[in-house]
Amino acid sequence: MYKSKHSGTLGTVITIIILILLVILTNVNRDNLSYAEGFATSILMPIQNAFTMLKNRVTGNSQFFADLDSLKAENEQLKQRNNELETQLRELEVIKAENATLQEYANLTEKYQDYSTVAAYVIDKDVSNYSSNIIINVGSDQGIEKDMTVIADKGLVGHVISVTNNTAKVQVIVDSASSVAAMISTSDESIICKGSVENDKYLNASYIDTSSELLVGDSVVTSGIGGIYPKGITIGTIKQVINTTNITDRYAIVETAVDFSKLYTVLVIK
Amino acid sequence: MKKFLLGVLMYVVFIILYFFQADFFNWFTIAGISPNIFIIFILFLGLFTNSLFSIVIALLAGITLDLVIGRTLGVTAFMFCLISIIAGYFDKNFSKESKLTIIIMVICMTIIYELVNYMMNVLVLDIPFEFAAFSKILAIEVLYNAILTLIFYKLILKFGYILEKQFKQKNILTRYF
Repeated sequence: MYKSKHSGTLGTVITIIILILLVILTNVNRDNLSYAEGFATSILMPIQNAFTMLKNRVTGNSQFFADLDSLKAENEQLKQRNNELETQLRELEVIKAENATLQEYANLTEKYQDYSTVAAYVIDKDVSNYSSNIIINVGSDQGIEKDMTVIADKGLVGHVISVTNNTAKVQVIVDSASSVAAMISTSDESIICKGSVENDKYLNASYIDTSSELLVGDSVVTSGIGGIYPKGITIGTIKQVINTTNITDRYAIVETAVDFSKLYTVLVIK
Repeated sequence: MKKFLLGVLMYVVFIILYFFQADFFNWFTIAGISPNIFIIFILFLGLFTNSLFSIVIALLAGITLDLVIGRTLGVTAFMFCLISIIAGYFDKNFSKESKLTIIIMVICMTIIYELVNYMMNVLVLDIPFEFAAFSKILAIEVLYNAILTLIFYKLILKFGYILEKQFKQKNILTRYF
């Protein structure tokens, strides 16, 4: 058969061009082709699905569809079981939380066994941004009186400022109106710790004796002066000493031992 | 009787708002600062009801707050009444249709309320006046209240006009004709 020499060369060139085009098209970023891919998929896939279903029926794979009802029933059973397990898990979590609270009470009572105490929950906090008082769920019916000291596991919380039958309002030490007579546990130097309006983590320690040497990390406890707080209850530790030009004005920042943002249980010292 | 029931309803709304403030906004804060939704509520009452009604609710709400959590009885009640009276003045002199006007009212009321409240506590409880800290907290609180007003403006206006119908139906006619 006659074969043109030119047509053979042309065929080779066309093949090379097609190959190059294929290489380019298959190596470009597929994201650039997503519109085209999406368009093609939306046209082809429904038809492809129909064909697949037809094929399954013909080849006996339609058993899957026959089992669908039993699978649904099984799924319902599993869901129900899952719900039961979730309920049990929630119950366990509640028991765990109760256990932790009781443990906290036990630790607190053990720690402050020298004092007669009443355990309480914090049920409300001041809604204002400028004060930090709390309300606890014990009151005069439980023997709570005004000016009683309130403590937590790590240290001093504040004192009771008013009482109803079943609740008590507590002024916490970080409140801007609070002022606690304290001392440095290592040196017995007296200071006054005041709350501030800005934060609920630190106290300002003032009236520091000019001869005293405060060190960062020194423990601060109640001095017992003032008649409200018993002596020796932990308040916190010295975080920073601010020296001023006039030594009598110097003050220290005391980091409270109690985390007031996570205060849930307290003890009232009777 | 109808107004009495409305009063009871408004007090119930205040109680619901209290739980929102104490539980939700205690956690949902901007830099640790909560908004004061009571100010928005009292301003809302002053703008959309008559002065006597809003003052009575403001007084009850304020006394409730003073009793539950306050340190000095009467300060919050007095401030809420003051907001209510000023809101009545705003109602007579400014349009409630403007979103900007309402937001400016909320900003002014928040500043006045917190400033007077804080100053009274400083005087009564002998607290040191911490200007920088107070200003910082107030600025965030004002911003938060303004944002909340912006978000709930349409809702405030919708319920406000429903409430206003009960109190000012006759007044509306005389105002425009």
